[in-house]
Amino acid sequence: MALNRAVAAVILALLTVSWLAQPSAAQPSADQIMSRAHLAMYYPGEDMRARVTMRLVSRDGKERVRELTMTRRDLQDGGEQRYFIYFHRPPDVRDMTFLVWKYPGKDDDRWLYIPALKLVRRIAASDKRSSFAGSDFSYEDISGREPEEDTHKLIREDKAGARDAYVVESVPKDPGSVDFGRKLSWIDKGRGLPLKEEYFDRRGDLARVFTAEEITEIQGFWTVTRRVMKNVQTGHWTEAILADVRYNQKLAPDLFSERALRAPPTELVR
Amino acid sequence: MAPLALGGGAEADGEGVPVHGFVQSGTAYRLIQPDRCARTQRLACREPFVLGEGRARIELAPRGEWWGLTAKGEMIFDALVPEVDGELREGYLDLALGPLDLRIGRQVITWGVGDLVFINDVFPKDWVAFIAGLPLEYLKKGSDAVSVTGHWAGASLQLVLIPRFEADTLPEAGGRLAFHDPMASLEHRHTDDPTPSPGNTEVGARLSRNVLGWDLSLYAYRGFFHAPAGEAEPGPRLRFFFPPLSVYGASAQGALLGGVLSLEAGYYDSRHDRAGRDAAIENSSVRLLTGYQREVVPDLMLSGQYYVQVMEDHAEYVRSRGPGMPRRSAARHVLTARLTRLLLHQTLRLGLFALASPNDGDWYLGPEARYQITDALSATLGLNVFGGPRRSDYGQFEANSNLYTVLRYAF
Repeated sequence: MALNRAVAAVILALLTVSWLAQPSAAQPSADQIMSRAHLAMYYPGEDMRARVTMRLVSRDGKERVRELTMTRRDLQDGGEQRYFIYFHRPPDVRDMTFLVWKYPGKDDDRWLYIPALKLVRRIAASDKRSSFAGSDFSYEDISGREPEEDTHKLIREDKAGARDAYVVESVPKDPGSVDFGRKLSWIDKGRGLPLKEEYFDRRGDLARVFTAEEITEIQGFWTVTRRVMKNVQTGHWTEAILADVRYNQKLAPDLFSERALRAPPTELVR
Repeated sequence: MAPLALGGGAEADGEGVPVHGFVQSGTAYRLIQPDRCARTQRLACREPFVLGEGRARIELAPRGEWWGLTAKGEMIFDALVPEVDGELREGYLDLALGPLDLRIGRQVITWGVGDLVFINDVFPKDWVAFIAGLPLEYLKKGSDAVSVTGHWAGASLQLVLIPRFEADTLPEAGGRLAFHDPMASLEHRHTDDPTPSPGNTEVGARLSRNVLGWDLSLYAYRGFFHAPAGEAEPGPRLRFFFPPLSVYGASAQGALLGGVLSLEAGYYDSRHDRAGRDAAIENSSVRLLTGYQREVVPDLMLSGQYYVQVMEDHAEYVRSRGPGMPRRSAARHVLTARLTRLLLHQTLRLGLFALASPNDGDWYLGPEARYQITDALSATLGLNVFGGPRRSDYGQFEANSNLYTVLRYAF
C-alpha cells in the first residue's frame, strides 16, 4: 500500500516535471499550424458559395471594381477542388464564366468562357502567381498555396489585433517557382485562420501584406469576409468583401462542367 | 440605367430585367491608298476610310430557373455613306429540360480550337468586320438555328439545325474594300442563296467529353460552303452560289508542359465536285491544325499554330483551270503566332497576332493596344496589315491595310 502510494507519487512527480520541462508538448509544430490554416482558409465545409466584391485601388486613389459569384466544391479535404466563377462586372467581363479544376501537386485545368464569341477557351495555368482579374491577389491567394511547397518554422507567438497568434516563417522549397523569398504568417491560435501575412521579395524587402480585416462565423465556420492585399512597393491594394456566404449547399458536380460554363445556373447570375 | 419591369414571368423574381449594352465608335484609316482599282471596286480608290461608324447596343436577358431570353440589338450609324441601320445580333430562347439544353433563335455557334484559323467552325463569319478593325466578336455572325444539347455521363451531344442559310460576309463589288476579283469585267452579278427547304437545312452535330483533363470533340456538318463560288453565265453575268459541303472532324485540347496543346482535324467533302473537275467549285480537302499556348511569365502569353490544308485531286484542279487563271498549290501551309502582354493590373493589353503562309507568301499582322480607361470606358488602337501576292488569301487585302481605333462606353 505504502509502495503503491510511493509509486504514485513518483509518477505524479515525473509527470509534473515533464509537463514543466516541456510546455511545448501541447504546442503544434509549424507544419501542423500551416496545414490547419490551409484547411481553415481554403477548405471549410464540403462546398461554399459567395458573392465577392473586389475593389482595386491605385496609389492615387483611382478605383476599379470587380464583382463575381464564386463557388467551390472539395473532392477531398486538403486535396482536389473545383471552382466556378461568374463575373457580374465590370461590363467588359460581364457574363464571363471561369472554371478551375485544382489538383494538388500538378497544374490546374482552367477554362474561360467568352459569351460574345460563345467560346470556351482553355487557359494555360503554369503560373499560379499570376494576378487574379488584375487584382493584388494571385490565383494562389484565392485558392490556396499547398503547405508542402514551403518549409515552415515557428518563430514566436504574438498578438494580431486582439487575437493570439503563432508567427510562422515559410520559405519556398523551389525558389524559382514563386515571386517571394519568404513569408511571415500570423495564424489565429484558436480559429486557425491567417490573420496577417507578409511577403518578402527575393532581396528581402517587404513586398505585399495580407490582412484579414473582418472575420465572421458562418454556419460554424470562421470566415474571412473582408480581406486586403496591399502591394507596399507600388501602393496599389485590393480589398475583397465576401457577402452571401453559404456552406454545404450540396452543390451539384454538374456545376463544375462545360455545361455550366456555357449556361450558368440562374441563381448564380442574379 | 433604369431597370425595365418584366411582366407576367412566373419565375422572374420581380427585381426587373437589367439593361446592358454599350455605345461605340470605330474608325479605320487606310495606310496605303490604292491608285488603281478594278471597276467593281472604285470606292476603294476614293474612300480613305475603311471604317467610320458609331454603334449603340442594347442587351436584355431575362431568365427564370429553367428558361432564359437573350436579345442583343444594335443601331449602326455608318458615317461614310451616311446611313443608319439596325441589326439583331443575337435573339434566342433557352430552355433547360432535365439533361437537355434547347436554344432557339439567332445565335452564335463556335466550334473547334483554332485561333483565327477555322476547321470545324463552319458557322458564318463577317470577314469585312475583321478586316475593318471591329472588335473580334464581330467576326462571328449569328445563325438562325435550333440547337439541342444533351448531357449524359460527362459527355455532351449537340445537334444544330439551321433552316435559313447565312453566308460569310466578304468584300464584294461596290464595297469599300479592295480584293482580288478574277472576273472584274462582269459587273452584272447575282447571288443564289440555298432556298430554305428541309433538304437545304444545314445540320451539325458535336459530341464532346473531357477525358483525363483533355477536352475531346467529334464534329459532323452537312450544309454548304459559306464563301460563294462564282461562274459566268450568258448575259454575260456572274452568278454566285454556295456549293454543298460536308465536314467531318475532331479536336483535342489539354494541358502539356505547363501550357495548352490544341489539335484539330477535318475532312471537307465538296459534295458537288468530288472528282475535282469543276473549276468553279472548291475541291475536297483535308485540314489539320496544331497549336500551343503558354504563359511565359505572369501576364505574358505566347502561342503558336501550324495549319495545313491539302487539296484532293490537285491534278484535276490544275487541268480545270484556264490559261491565266490563278492556281492554288496542292497544300497551303500557315503559321501563326500570338503574343499578349497584360500591364497596369490588366487594364492595358498589348497584343500581336501574326499569320503567314510560307508557301503561298501571303501574311497578316495585327498589333493592338487596348486600354481600359475606367471600368466602363475603353480605347483600342491597332493596325491590320496585309501583304503577299495579289491573288493570295491575305495578299489581296493589302490595299485595305489600316490603322483602327475603337472607343467603347459599356454599361
